[in-house]
Amino acid sequence: MLLSPAEKSYLYESLISDPIIRPDSRSNHQYRPLEAKTSFLPGSNGSSRIRLSDGSECIISIKTKVVKLVEESNLIDLDIDIVGYRDDSNYISNLKFQLLNLLNENFEFEILKLTEQYSFKLFIDCIIINNLSYPLSLLSLSIYLALKTTRLPLLISETNDEEIAELPTFSDDWNDSKYLIELSKNGKFQPPIFITLGIIGNNLIFDPSQEEETVLENGLIISFYNNKVITPISNTNFALNSNNSNFKGLNKKIIIGALSLGNKYCPIILEALDNLIEEDINDNDGNMF
Amino acid sequence: MNDLSLVISISKPISQLSIIDNDEDSDIEMDGDKINNNNDLNLNRRAIVTPGELITEDPIWMKGHGTYFLNNKTYSSVAGNISRVNRLLSVKPLRGKYQPETGDHVIGRITEVSNKRWKVDIGTKQDAILMLGSVNLPGGILRRKSESDELQMRNFLKEGDLLNCEIQTIFNNGIASLHTRSLKYGKLKNGIFMKIPSSLIIKSKNHSYDLPGSVSIILGINGYIWLYKSKQQEENSTTVVNQQASKLQGSLNNNKDYQIGTGSVSITRLEEESSWEIYSDINEEINNNIRNNISRYYNVIKALSFGEIGITEQRIILGYESSLSFENVGKLIERESMEQICQEVLNNERMRG
Repeated sequence: MLLSPAEKSYLYESLISDPIIRPDSRSNHQYRPLEAKTSFLPGSNGSSRIRLSDGSECIISIKTKVVKLVEESNLIDLDIDIVGYRDDSNYISNLKFQLLNLLNENFEFEILKLTEQYSFKLFIDCIIINNLSYPLSLLSLSIYLALKTTRLPLLISETNDEEIAELPTFSDDWNDSKYLIELSKNGKFQPPIFITLGIIGNNLIFDPSQEEETVLENGLIISFYNNKVITPISNTNFALNSNNSNFKGLNKKIIIGALSLGNKYCPIILEALDNLIEEDINDNDGNMF
Repeated sequence: MNDLSLVISISKPISQLSIIDNDEDSDIEMDGDKINNNNDLNLNRRAIVTPGELITEDPIWMKGHGTYFLNNKTYSSVAGNISRVNRLLSVKPLRGKYQPETGDHVIGRITEVSNKRWKVDIGTKQDAILMLGSVNLPGGILRRKSESDELQMRNFLKEGDLLNCEIQTIFNNGIASLHTRSLKYGKLKNGIFMKIPSSLIIKSKNHSYDLPGSVSIILGINGYIWLYKSKQQEENSTTVVNQQASKLQGSLNNNKDYQIGTGSVSITRLEEESSWEIYSDINEEINNNIRNNISRYYNVIKALSFGEIGITEQRIILGYESSLSFENVGKLIERESMEQICQEVLNNERMRG
């Protein structure tokens, strides 16, 4: 997105001022409102859809397959499709790597395990229909919703198949299926999420919009799991196709500030997502809209 | 719960159907009774038609834009409102690309600098063009544009620049030609740009307004909007402009033999105001109050556009006033707040008549 020099300098000066003035009056830690829906794809184990007020939209489907543990190196596979980008483009493979890496490092794989030999494998398919700002956070929150509402069929055969080789069999009744959280040992299943923070001057802004991205001094991606900010923490230029003249190096103090903001506000984001899921499960209308 | 929404608000999507059901006071009147006892189906009501819907069987009507004619019947080819001018029947689409008309005041963004012309995105199907001959030269002198002007076109306007202009003509192939030959047109600065569907802009004589809170707005008919700091009505403002202008010109003279208006005494206002200053990219000093007001207006317009309410000066001001009751301006981006603002604007308007 190309802005005129006058627009850029107006935005830059508004964002750098103290207190911060964002073009839509959001506070620095405020996300844009989301519209979300879960469990609407009948053929998937879990699904979710998030729409942002600027028209960005992401749909996630999670499917599962029973695999032999010895044959699989990864129990999660992920694919991203963004309209207008080749699957092998840098943009896509970068997003894919970040998400897959985060999930593989911070996932309770025990809950997928069926028997000594067999396990479920998750296939996460992400479609981004429209995106204006950097989509990592959108993707990550959608995946969170989808994983939380993923259901697995109930295993009715023995879990111990070391002595007698037996294929796992499942209950025919989908009502018997279990949410991942019910299969979890400690009763709380919370997938990791990514949030994006823009850095401008001494200000840190959550969820930068497309216009804000073009004037940012740097962009920070932080991950959050188990009630705290974890690694990977990385920085990147969120703006696409722009010769971002403001782009600068990172100040150490800013990173520390970002961590404390993350620790403070990510639990609230997760709580809001959990509230929606609860509402959606109670509703159970299966509608996409 | 209140705490949550300060960080993120997540809601379930509302289906469009439920909005119509709940909204009994909608200002679109759907007269169910009239349809039955009328042969001219949709003609006599101000209804919305969908593509392929029969409008009339009477062949007397002339088919305008947005309609097609099949077996002596006229159908709609778009989703929109029926409009009748004498015998001409057309359907105005609810959404879609902006259709340029001569004389429209629009805002555009330069997408390309080419031979003696700029290509400008004004939200139409094809980019509009702005000929080098249709802009004011710095210094305000009136003359044919020379080769040296052609060479420094990027000094006037370059890719990404926003400008405020009028549609001069529309060529046979549908491409609009623009001009900025007036002091009210030209490059935009000191503010922020936003886009809304062009169908929400209501055409009027004037499309630039000064709003309360030292903010001005240009409502382009193409749905492109510019919110900026109001020009100060100071006496000495012109001399300041001139000083800056001569500085700019001075720096230019170091590079090139550009001689227009250097050191000359200005006679007309055109000369004073259309110095290099009109092509400057540097914003004036804007204080935080004005910046906050601009953001507030930005949210109000977003809210009105969310409620599909036609945008006028009065409604923007009404919306601004009702937005003042929100303690936290950041709340304005939430759906409930936007709905509330729209409702208050409509109520206020009804009360004032």
